[in-house]
Amino acid sequence: MLETVLLSFIFLSDTIATSSQNLDEVVVVSHGQGGKRSAKGQVATIDEHLQELNHVELVRRGSYAWEPTVNNMQTERLSTTIDGMKIFYACTDKMDPVTSYVESSNLQSITLNSGLNGNPQATGNIGGALDLRLRKAGFSNSSLNGFGANIGYESNGSVQVYGADAYHSSQRFYANGGAFYRHADNYKAGGSNEVDFSQFQKVNAFVNGGYRVADNDAIETTFIFDRATDVGYPALNMDVAKAEAFITSLSYKHLFQNRQLESWETKVYYNHITHVMDDTKRPDVAIHMDMPGKSWTTGAYSLLSGSIGRHGAQLNIDGYYNRLFADMTMYPGGAAPMYMVTWPDVGTLNMGAALADNIRLGSESFLRLTGKLSWQHQRLNSEEGYKALSVFFPGMKQEYHQITGRIAANYQFSVLNSQFSFGAGWGSRAPTVTEAYGYYLNNTFDQYDYIGNPRLKNESAIELSGNYLLSIHNFQFGIDANAFIFSNYIIGQFENRLSAMTVGAEGVKVYGNIDHATIANASLSAEWKPVKGLRWSAKGTYSIGRDDEGDPLPLIAPLTYQSRLAYTTGNLGLQAEVKGHTRQTKYGKKYGETETAAWTILNLSANYQLSISSYQVTFRAGVENLFDKYYATYADWCNIPQKGRNIYVNFSFVL
Amino acid sequence: MKIAKGFLLIFVAAALTACNSNDDGVQAGIEIPGITITDDADCCSAEEALNTYNFLQTVQLVPELTTVVDGKYNVYVYTKTGTFHTGYNELYFVSTKKETGNYIKDLTVTSNTPLMYMSKMNKYHSTPVSDKSRIVNYDYLAVKRVWVSFLMNSSENGSWTYSYEVDVLGKSGGVEKKDIVVNALPDGQVWLKSFKVGDDNFFLSLVNPTDWKTGTNDIRAYISKKSDPITTPYALASETFTVDIDPRMPDMGNHTSPNNTPLVKQEDGSYLGTINLTMTGLWRIHLKVKDAEGNVVAGGEDESTLYWDVTI
Repeated sequence: MLETVLLSFIFLSDTIATSSQNLDEVVVVSHGQGGKRSAKGQVATIDEHLQELNHVELVRRGSYAWEPTVNNMQTERLSTTIDGMKIFYACTDKMDPVTSYVESSNLQSITLNSGLNGNPQATGNIGGALDLRLRKAGFSNSSLNGFGANIGYESNGSVQVYGADAYHSSQRFYANGGAFYRHADNYKAGGSNEVDFSQFQKVNAFVNGGYRVADNDAIETTFIFDRATDVGYPALNMDVAKAEAFITSLSYKHLFQNRQLESWETKVYYNHITHVMDDTKRPDVAIHMDMPGKSWTTGAYSLLSGSIGRHGAQLNIDGYYNRLFADMTMYPGGAAPMYMVTWPDVGTLNMGAALADNIRLGSESFLRLTGKLSWQHQRLNSEEGYKALSVFFPGMKQEYHQITGRIAANYQFSVLNSQFSFGAGWGSRAPTVTEAYGYYLNNTFDQYDYIGNPRLKNESAIELSGNYLLSIHNFQFGIDANAFIFSNYIIGQFENRLSAMTVGAEGVKVYGNIDHATIANASLSAEWKPVKGLRWSAKGTYSIGRDDEGDPLPLIAPLTYQSRLAYTTGNLGLQAEVKGHTRQTKYGKKYGETETAAWTILNLSANYQLSISSYQVTFRAGVENLFDKYYATYADWCNIPQKGRNIYVNFSFVL
Repeated sequence: MKIAKGFLLIFVAAALTACNSNDDGVQAGIEIPGITITDDADCCSAEEALNTYNFLQTVQLVPELTTVVDGKYNVYVYTKTGTFHTGYNELYFVSTKKETGNYIKDLTVTSNTPLMYMSKMNKYHSTPVSDKSRIVNYDYLAVKRVWVSFLMNSSENGSWTYSYEVDVLGKSGGVEKKDIVVNALPDGQVWLKSFKVGDDNFFLSLVNPTDWKTGTNDIRAYISKKSDPITTPYALASETFTVDIDPRMPDMGNHTSPNNTPLVKQEDGSYLGTINLTMTGLWRIHLKVKDAEGNVVAGGEDESTLYWDVTI
């Protein structure tokens, strides 16, 4: 049946994905049991869903728009795609990681490919590749209609969440869409300390549609509109008046009837982001500033999948063109405004070809090979920005090009109760626009102004990974480790000859390549199901990051741990969770990082599912940080405190 | 499949053809308002006249300085704004034949004489000026440029007059002590400063800083010496100096820019250096003057007031 194939195609690749420890997935919309998800269910934010993934931590600058890190690498070393579409954030201060421009209701799942083994559309993914998979109703044999609604409330910060969606599905046509609204006031850290400027508000609406033009051919389209307003960033000097995205795509999918080729999907897409910072509500602003940023991207990819004998292969060709512009106007009282271009309208054209092959070597052994080669051309379209940067790099060009690539192999085999997996890869990335062309971008983390360096070399890394999983009956034990050995690692370097621009800044750093650096992560995990319905799991992860002089890199997690006890009986689920990290002793002092103290918190949650005729109601409630502990994680920007005790309740209805 | 390929092709084509070249305008016959082109050797060719005409559209006439030489030739004076301000001003002289309106190439400004009357002290003094007139640009040979750097603006304390003499096709003429108004520059613009070496007074006139843009700019200045008697226009100093520049943004915690190069004397008597401006806004350019031996003779102290202010 075509529709099942069209539907199951997504899940087929998911199944492959979850078969290896390097690939991880969080399911936003549940299809029965199985799959990870946030204890808050569907109303959880994308950030809360992301927290469930292995290898992922979140850098927090406020209570909104957290920046995911994978294997202790931030946005620069990751790829984030939405259903394979490239999208780039528009804020020079990284207030808007692209994951902030979608809502949970837009998504079916979030997949993570750790390390260099990226999804076909990923480029520059040294640390990993996140793909946010959109939720599509899909075709069905009989005509189906449905409706769903979510309501949620959280005590800390009076968070309100309202969402509604509907779908129609038939043999020829499907459409689904919905709207989501979130509102939060300032939250309170442990001990009832209110964190000023931690509020936010967000609306999101989406529509997906599909039309079957022939038995084996379908056209699909997506529209997402997302708008956050009045977003506070307690860790930064400014807030956001508006962060708005429009995301759209049109794709054509063909399914083959023959045995070798499976499907061919070609998608064209467009998205744009407008980001407007705002410091008018802050007290004691030395100089009022306007700092808007814009990003727009258009692109296409064409993905051919097939299986020939033992090979399951994917061939992908993609291209995108992105433009990033940001500027800053400062208004000193009485005197003339001061203006500068902070992202000089950089146009990036990137074309790439990727190949992935899953080879079944035997009944219990698999080899996965992936590779991608990309060519990139960049032009500084702002004459003013180009000339300003030329002050620091006399003779710099207005156009640059880079070639990047990655190749990775992963071998997995099982013997009795054990599963082994080994991987190796090499990959490179081009400097980001901030790293290459950013202009006096103030970083509140170390209080330095950063200037990009157009003469940076590509950064590259060798990745080695291995993991072991032992399953004995109701007990599972796993070891997972990886190491990234970098060449030409890109990081801000002190430039004492330059004077800071931002009032109060310590000085200026210019991005540079350091000869080598290493990041390594190791985790141990265990799971035990002593009796039916009861599940205990625990996990500990340790990471190190070293620069070329052996000093710690910044934002590397200390020993983190998490333990959960879950009990399910009938329609009722209960869970208790302890998590925390030890004192961050090896912090990046040289890079302006400060030490973070140890912390541990306890979370409790419960969910109850009720079916009344064709209605399904899920009720969830819980308490986070039960003991109202005042704490900050190593990834909390400028050590802003996390939420104190938070009680939440939410309902999901499905009709 | 074909549709899929088509999408990709369209995308690639769209991405590669980012811009079109402009359409070439059709060359029209040259017609210049108020000018009859004849084959008069004294005057501009049609192309020269058009260039000159186009240049004059970018500046403004100073009507009080218009005169007639020998009954046959009009002389006009222009400045950027049609007015004068404190600090460096460029004056553009143009002469036309009355009968055709065409521009005369053989024009020389032989005297460039500003004079201030200080009413409270009942004293007269002049101000720094250029030594001789120069052609502005080889594209418009008929335009001659001189400059005057006014020490102060007109006020109840003092008033300015301006006199000039020109030579048009061998005939002399000019204006004598015409009243002119010199406006003060707006806040955030100070383009003229003085320093003393021994008993000599020198003036540092900054040339056209409003042409600057964010990035690397040429910075040009003149150093003039106070005359004796002071009613004589102040000519360029014969001494050779070097002036170190240190641009700062007082509104941004004295932020500065790297790689500025000092003002060094050029063959034409001006001083030329490079200044790097990292953004627009108010720039205070601190000056340190060194003599030919490299000794600091003025400026450079922390509290020194030897600086220009420029707001771009």
